[in-house]
Amino acid sequence: MLSRVAENLYWMARYLERTEDMARLINATTLLLLDLPQGAEFGWDILLQVTGDAELYTEHYGTPEEGRIMRFLIADERNPNSVMAAIHQARENCRTFRDLLPAEFWERLNTLFLFVREHAGTSSDSRHARYAFLSEVISRRHALVGLLISSMSQDNVYQFIKLGRNMERADMTTRIVDVTSAVILPQDQGLQKTTTSSLWLGVLRALSAFEMYRRHVSVQVRSNQVVDYLLKDNKFPRSMKYCLGEMEVALAYLPNAGIPAEAVRRARRRLDALKLANLRPDLLHEYLDQAQKDLAMVHRTIQGTYFAREDTGFDGVPSGLLLNAAQA
Amino acid sequence: MDWLSKHYQQQKSYDELVGEGAVPRLPAAPLFDYLSTLDSSELRARRQAADAAILAMGITFTVYSEAGNIDRAWPFDIIPRILSRREWVRIEDGLKQRLQALNLFIDDIYNAQRIVVDGVFPAEVLASSRNFREACRGVRPPFGVWAHICGSDLVRDADGTVYVLEDNLRVPSGVSYMLENRQIMKRLFPELFKSSTILPVDDYPNRLYDTLAALSPREGERPVVAVLTPGIYNSAYFEHSYLAQQMGAYLAEGADFFVSREDIVYLRTISGPQRVDVIYRRIDDEYMDPEVFLTDSTLGIPGLLRAWRRGTVAIANAPGAGVADDKVVYAFVPDIIRYYLDAEPILPNVPTYLCMRDADRDYVLSHLHELVVKPANESGGYGMLIGPRATSEERGRFAELIAANPRNYIAQPTLNLSTAPTLVEDHLEARHLDLRPFILQADKLYVTTGGLTRVAMQPGSLVVNSSQGGGSKDTWIVDEEAPCFRA
Repeated sequence: MLSRVAENLYWMARYLERTEDMARLINATTLLLLDLPQGAEFGWDILLQVTGDAELYTEHYGTPEEGRIMRFLIADERNPNSVMAAIHQARENCRTFRDLLPAEFWERLNTLFLFVREHAGTSSDSRHARYAFLSEVISRRHALVGLLISSMSQDNVYQFIKLGRNMERADMTTRIVDVTSAVILPQDQGLQKTTTSSLWLGVLRALSAFEMYRRHVSVQVRSNQVVDYLLKDNKFPRSMKYCLGEMEVALAYLPNAGIPAEAVRRARRRLDALKLANLRPDLLHEYLDQAQKDLAMVHRTIQGTYFAREDTGFDGVPSGLLLNAAQA
Repeated sequence: MDWLSKHYQQQKSYDELVGEGAVPRLPAAPLFDYLSTLDSSELRARRQAADAAILAMGITFTVYSEAGNIDRAWPFDIIPRILSRREWVRIEDGLKQRLQALNLFIDDIYNAQRIVVDGVFPAEVLASSRNFREACRGVRPPFGVWAHICGSDLVRDADGTVYVLEDNLRVPSGVSYMLENRQIMKRLFPELFKSSTILPVDDYPNRLYDTLAALSPREGERPVVAVLTPGIYNSAYFEHSYLAQQMGAYLAEGADFFVSREDIVYLRTISGPQRVDVIYRRIDDEYMDPEVFLTDSTLGIPGLLRAWRRGTVAIANAPGAGVADDKVVYAFVPDIIRYYLDAEPILPNVPTYLCMRDADRDYVLSHLHELVVKPANESGGYGMLIGPRATSEERGRFAELIAANPRNYIAQPTLNLSTAPTLVEDHLEARHLDLRPFILQADKLYVTTGGLTRVAMQPGSLVVNSSQGGGSKDTWIVDEEAPCFRA
């Protein structure tokens, strides 16, 4: 397989995952803000913090406001993380290797792109329209994933898709946990308790983890337990640990996987060492910062091993990167 | 419903499907039998189904405009263009003859230049050819063939004569649309394909693969074939991807390749370098190798020409093949056929005036109002003057252009292009069209069954290029002598 094709497969999977994650995040946040008691001190801009796009938003739109934030996150292609931009990128990537996937995949992806292009603009007109639109995006994206799972050989092509999907998932999960932990809660003790619980309930919903959490952890939504579940659970498909495991499995199918696989294991060892009981918020934030760096390193080693364009890239990653990986 | 007597107005042009007195020509008779069972709402529904299929299949082409690159759905008319097999056999022979002669010509031009020495082809035309590549001198590609894939444009004049309008020997495109048009028609009108004798077109990708594989420099191994594309923003990217997919070849961009110190071409893959045997290039000569041609090209492969000259890799079409794809050279093709093959051309050229000749130029300048003037090296219908439709200012401007650079212009009489019924809203109207068959040559010669029919969607328009608003039709070669015809 061409290095460039592998890279495009990986990125298509990331963008598709991003499309769904963004849709899910917006819908869950909408539900959350409706549930929130008066006096809670955060608003729609929490979405911008999660995606890390607050600066870009301010540049184009100024002060945070629901309608504008939605336009920015859903329809605005100047925002590379918007639903529209992500699905567009996924489609353009897919175009370059249509032949490697089941023919139906391209047709469905293209149809999803046309659907988003037609409706993204008007979806921010009302909460109702937005909810319906995003739910449709999520369900169509599920159909795409289902198509791949049920009709593709577990070949190299599939493994690069799997790598991209799990990388993006792990990234989104750590971002959401990080931002939520940093939310400033109301002073009032009673209010603080209900707010905390609503907030983490929202997070579980955004990651479609609520039912699984309730069944496997607790009926009560407690922040420590939620964080533990989302980062360290072995069986939940959006937990960071599970995503790392999936990446390790994918790498086992690929040639020359030594260095990226080591980067994955390193990230997991650090995750295993994390003790969450009574963890101070600032230490959690520090850890999550490191987790993001570990993921970035996994990404760079995948890039260096498989996507490198320089002629020297075939001997593995450039030596500088090797050194960094060893030090990290 | 009766589609012809009520709605179809014949023009002075030859109509491909309809003869005297609004009676369908024999090969088109089963189509009209079938159409008569449909009313206009049913036909409209089929058209909508076609549009939906095109959108969903993502059959697109890119149009360059000032507003940016637009990815347009492929404009398609559901009424096919139909030719009889008997007529087609003769056209096929003519096309093979032509490509054979053109390849002998190119091989000669880059080697002994016998045709110039013998005074059949003027040295000054060669000297001023923009597509002649000095870097190709002395190369002997496999089978002496340079243009492996040729797309020739055919037109039919009012008296029914089929002419060759031009031969595209650089990177002709459109064959994927020919194949997809047939797929769409089979989805839409399965009944017709069940009961008639329409010859299939779908062996083209296999034939293309065989043609390319025959060029491989390594014997005994399954050759590694790559389609070299300029990338996703090229107007024909859809086709590059389609053909690579159909042939099981790599679809690669310049940056995916590198040439080793031993002049071997490799692809960068996830498991390391992969040696390449044959490159089906879909980029122009100038962009192919920055070491030899345009030095700032990022689309090409540095060192590719070195490898090709050493014979470690085959390139189709070979660099420099475009020397015969020039509208001045075109005028000499009948002589080229006679010179190399010692035979009369089976298919005629459109009569062509070469502005480089004094007598021709005088004639052209005094008859601009009835001629079509074309630049020698443009393609895609750009930079043309259609005399009868031009304003006197436009004609004046062209007179200056011709006087300034006579070698760069040719002129031809304005042909009355043939028409075919085309669905316009809820009825059929005549629209002008042409035909681009594709011809392959390596160790064997092959012609597509039919080709890509391009149709001018505007009433009366003669411009069929998809880059300028043309559409296309499925092309049927019908065997009306088969026992099951019209059964």
